[in-house]
Amino acid sequence: MSVDLSPTAAAVEPAPEPVRTPSPDRRRSRARQARRGRTTRLLVLAVVTTALIFPVYWIVATSLKSSSQLGQGSMVWLPLPPHVENFVHAVTAIPFAAYLGNSLFLSTVSGVLTTLSSAFVGYGFARLQGPGKKVLFGVLIAMMMMPGIVTLIPIYLLFSRVGLVGTYWPWVLWGLSGAPYLIFLYRQFFAGIPKELEEAAILDGCSQFRIFAQIFLPLSKPVLVTAFVMSFLAVWGDFIAPNLLLDREHTTLAVAISSGYVNAQGFPLNNLIAAGSVLYVVPVVVIFLFVQRHYVQGFTASGIK
Amino acid sequence: MAASTIDRRRARDFYIFVMPWLLGTVLLTIFPLAYAFGISLTNWDGISPGFSWVGLENYSNVLTDPDTWASLTRTGLLALVIVPVTVAASLGLAVLLNGKVVFRAGWRTLIYLPAIVPPVAAALTWKLIFDRDVGAINGIRSLFGLDAVNWLTGNQVFLVLVAVMLWGVGGGVIINLAALQDVSVEQHEAAELDGASPWQRFLAVTLPALSPILLFQVITTTIGVLQTFVPALLLSPATGPAAITAVPEANRVFMIDVYAQYFAFSRYGYASAMLWLFFVAILLLTGAFFKISGRTVFYAVDPRDAEAKP
Repeated sequence: MSVDLSPTAAAVEPAPEPVRTPSPDRRRSRARQARRGRTTRLLVLAVVTTALIFPVYWIVATSLKSSSQLGQGSMVWLPLPPHVENFVHAVTAIPFAAYLGNSLFLSTVSGVLTTLSSAFVGYGFARLQGPGKKVLFGVLIAMMMMPGIVTLIPIYLLFSRVGLVGTYWPWVLWGLSGAPYLIFLYRQFFAGIPKELEEAAILDGCSQFRIFAQIFLPLSKPVLVTAFVMSFLAVWGDFIAPNLLLDREHTTLAVAISSGYVNAQGFPLNNLIAAGSVLYVVPVVVIFLFVQRHYVQGFTASGIK
Repeated sequence: MAASTIDRRRARDFYIFVMPWLLGTVLLTIFPLAYAFGISLTNWDGISPGFSWVGLENYSNVLTDPDTWASLTRTGLLALVIVPVTVAASLGLAVLLNGKVVFRAGWRTLIYLPAIVPPVAAALTWKLIFDRDVGAINGIRSLFGLDAVNWLTGNQVFLVLVAVMLWGVGGGVIINLAALQDVSVEQHEAAELDGASPWQRFLAVTLPALSPILLFQVITTTIGVLQTFVPALLLSPATGPAAITAVPEANRVFMIDVYAQYFAFSRYGYASAMLWLFFVAILLLTGAFFKISGRTVFYAVDPRDAEAKP
């Protein structure tokens, strides 16, 4: 895998047959070409988007079907009238509210801790100097690539020995230590802030903590939103950690919807699975639509893009 | 004298600030990894109080077990399908969306939407699409008079796994769209004046400018695919603790294998050796990535420009 990383090398390659003044003929054919290009583009977008959105339609449609509409040999494409009562069954067939509470609590606590801790550490990497900083930064970058599941299983083995399995303490510890990717995001953001900002504060004898908390943290609002949403959704969407580390009572919605909806014979209740999944995903979509603008800004501000 | 006190205080501040992460890394990454390495040298079954040291026997067993190579091959095949398609499709879609297109924001949102669906819901959704009796795929087949297929068992379940994983293509689209904002407009215009076709401009201007971010995507997607676990587990016909052993052979990727060795077969030593070999492979891959890319990807903002100098 050899990729040319110097952006200029290929860009300055001479383009074939330089035509500085296109003839009117040529211009007309260009316009026709452009129109055809636009139609093709729209067509491709429409096809791809349909393929990507159809599953969303299907899960919503399935969530609105009666159990007889889900029997063998009865394919229903549009469930009319919609069986909205499935959603009532989905939240009563399992202790949905309790799992929702667990998910909300765990995601929020994790999100707040991870966001603040990552900002704190990111400030250190962006603005402060110490021996070994280069090495530590290298370790941080390597940790971004660290496959989560590799450490998760040993963590489960260790935590089960000290009685931390079945509690939320692992998430508190993960939150307090920050997330490498978010630390990196903050570091990039803070490194881009002009030094004049803090020089006056240093001259006034402000500690680094005050400079961080009163100058830098308030400036990082777009990154703050991105970081919170990312860490909140990471816990909300996580299946492996709660599945391994939490018991039935403390587990999250992600685990509950994946195995809770079965009938007395143990067969899956597909319409309830669909309804439960819809209820589980809707908050994610709502959050995303709200912060979409911030989200992209945060990425852009980080410089990673 | 005074300078060294300032230096020391600065160093102290630096370490106070990075301490939460440093402690967390030692406690939640290095220590667990060391613990797993210790287990990998034993024949511990996870339940018995006793065990004996077996040296590197687990490692040689893992490397000579044909099951290991079978699951590695499946995982590699998955990466060979998912990585090129995801990276190329997300680049293509981003370029399409970056041009003059009506409802651009709408398309973008719709394409990105599946990428934010959590893996559990994504797996359950595709399971319903490929369901034998109530799934849309068999519904479409029946319209053409074709028989219903058992998609979730047998080798064809691999296709379902591929579908689940390709569904998140929108994540890369958003990253590429942001990167496209930085592609030099002047270079594009100069190339256009020189008579370069859109395709030539894409090859000569856009692609080189995007190459660091594309390489970044290739690597992160590869590492992500090699770790595939949740979708493969949730596409299993069984649920709960029985799910892991019920995963059809075609979807028994490496992490499914590791998890089953731990929690279904209680071979903790053997499974820990698998985990460690996987960890080393990822490490080598990441190292290769840095060797190829240099630091272009990660140093988009140079902190030295902004840092206060003593």
